[in-house]
Amino acid sequence: MTAVEPRAVPGEVTTFQVASPDLEAVVRDLANLRLADMFAANGDTTTLRMVWANDGEAPGYVITETPIDDGEYPALSGIAPAAFVEECEIYEQFGIRPVGDKPLNRMMLPPRDALPPDAALPTLGRQPAAEPQEVRAPHTVGGHAFEFPFGPVRQAGTESLYYGLVTSGEEVVDLYLFTWHKHRGLEWRLQGRTPREALFHVERAEGLSAVALGWAFAAAAEAATGTRPPAEAERTRAVALELERLYNHAAAMAALCQSTGLTVGQSAAEIALERMLRLNAQALGHRYLFGVVGVGGVGRAPDADVIRRELPGAYGEFRRAADALLDTNSFVDRLEATGIVTTDQARALGLVGPVARASGLAADARTVPGGPYDGHPPAIPARTAGDVLARFAVMLAEAAESVRLIGEFLGAGAAAGVTELPETAGAGLGWAESPRGEALAWLALDSEGRITRARLRPGSARNWRGFDDACRSQNVFTDIPIIEASFWLTAAGMAR
Amino acid sequence: MTAEAVRADELRETIARQFGRSLHIRTLDTGSCAVCEQEIRLLAAPHYDLTRLGFFFTPAPRHADLLLVTGPMIRAFEVAARKTYDAMPGPKVVVATGACALGGVYPADPFTHGTVGAVLPVDVWIPGCPPSPLALLHGLGVAVGRLAEKVRDRSFTAADYPERTRGDS
Repeated sequence: MTAVEPRAVPGEVTTFQVASPDLEAVVRDLANLRLADMFAANGDTTTLRMVWANDGEAPGYVITETPIDDGEYPALSGIAPAAFVEECEIYEQFGIRPVGDKPLNRMMLPPRDALPPDAALPTLGRQPAAEPQEVRAPHTVGGHAFEFPFGPVRQAGTESLYYGLVTSGEEVVDLYLFTWHKHRGLEWRLQGRTPREALFHVERAEGLSAVALGWAFAAAAEAATGTRPPAEAERTRAVALELERLYNHAAAMAALCQSTGLTVGQSAAEIALERMLRLNAQALGHRYLFGVVGVGGVGRAPDADVIRRELPGAYGEFRRAADALLDTNSFVDRLEATGIVTTDQARALGLVGPVARASGLAADARTVPGGPYDGHPPAIPARTAGDVLARFAVMLAEAAESVRLIGEFLGAGAAAGVTELPETAGAGLGWAESPRGEALAWLALDSEGRITRARLRPGSARNWRGFDDACRSQNVFTDIPIIEASFWLTAAGMAR
Repeated sequence: MTAEAVRADELRETIARQFGRSLHIRTLDTGSCAVCEQEIRLLAAPHYDLTRLGFFFTPAPRHADLLLVTGPMIRAFEVAARKTYDAMPGPKVVVATGACALGGVYPADPFTHGTVGAVLPVDVWIPGCPPSPLALLHGLGVAVGRLAEKVRDRSFTAADYPERTRGDS
């Protein structure tokens, strides 16, 4: 295998080598940045990579690379709480762990008793020395609370997901969730493939963010090989990304109505949603925009006439439903002060997307320079209340902005076009702002252009960790579906 | 024809007719990417409105006649899938929904069975990635036909349950 030399595109991604003993100090120094992701990769030695996002004046990313020789690295989740989920994932997949004896929880891989005794699941590195800790709530907390198991098979038309709901009867004391029922081993599956082959599975990692995750992945492959897609192809990606945001926000609005029992509002939102999906199919060939993003560009040109003709009507339906809902006091009251995520919680956990923006963190991956948004900066709506109503308000403002941006990109010219990738070794980071927040992908290619390690981090993988905090904040059972609708995440994106 | 046989015929007809008017669907996600679920939710939306055709979603497998299964059947999910199927009363049909469920996305490997058919007895296959709501409605119509056949094949006596011995509840 060829050694991987990460390339840093100036102004966008800066890569630092950090020795393991220095890592703790560096992490303290980087505390003003947002920890966006952390993962390991195997080469001659196992390397720990931390991806830091600068959401400030000069948006961009910093990657720290730390070779791990002795199976341990400095404990980081004490300094950066956002690192804990990844510490557990890395332990499961690579068998390396933070110094100390902090228990590491089960994340991706199912427990032994869920599979036949002889089943062996492949991991990305060596197997951990001990099984990860099973997450189980104590059956009593202070003598009162008990665990209410819910899932994995849930109500009609929802994904499989297991909630461990700790309650004293009505109030949510604690909540944890399992998604290992849906783990498809995607990062393992992508190894050895070319980016073009892998893209098929990347789009299906979280189908409701197919454009964003596909774009992030394609951009990672392009950064790794030093290529740049044609500008008109990047604008097509942006059109598709905004269409994806629009239909997702319409779907989230329908889900919010369903969870609050407003059938009329739900129907109105679903009419808008269906019209947007039909618009997607007419303009770009797929209701959920699969296959639009290609490695090195896009394979399809959007039908600008269809979008210009159909979008005002579809968005008009969306707006009509939203305005009617905002005039419905019983709906607004139900959303207000429900599922609060504080600014401090959002920052500490590194939350992204509408959830973070509703809690006062106006970060958006579209503001990172170097992409099609350079000449078309999006307005980033933010709220500070951090409740369901604030998230709904952020989504409505984003939808309006998406419609404006689509018009601008079509005016600037969006077409098909692909830059062929050279067969060369390299590594790169890619990003895109999905409807549920920043989607990241990192990959390393060998000299034949095949993937040696691909890391996928959809927005869902980040934001579920804020879900239990939102549910705990003085909420009762019936608030949980409302909070879930306002987060609008997928179990598929978390499980991968 | 004995009076008993006539009554059994009537019962068969009645049930076949009634399934046509009121068929309850339980959905089951065995590892989808969340898009099939979105299309399934849209079945209840105004453009498609499956209740006008006599279909209803039910949250309980005990009340379900039809199991609408998405995803490639993750091995770790197999127990939950079997439990859901076993909890449904007969006669019942299984509809495999979408490219994953049909075997077009994932191979059989340590993580997934690759197809729903490896674990559950599939009656109807609905292709598409994802199948559009209209494709789902068409598949559901085919499934009603299969269910009616299964009803016709029944004698409505203990012979329908060879696995049960007398005295079982």
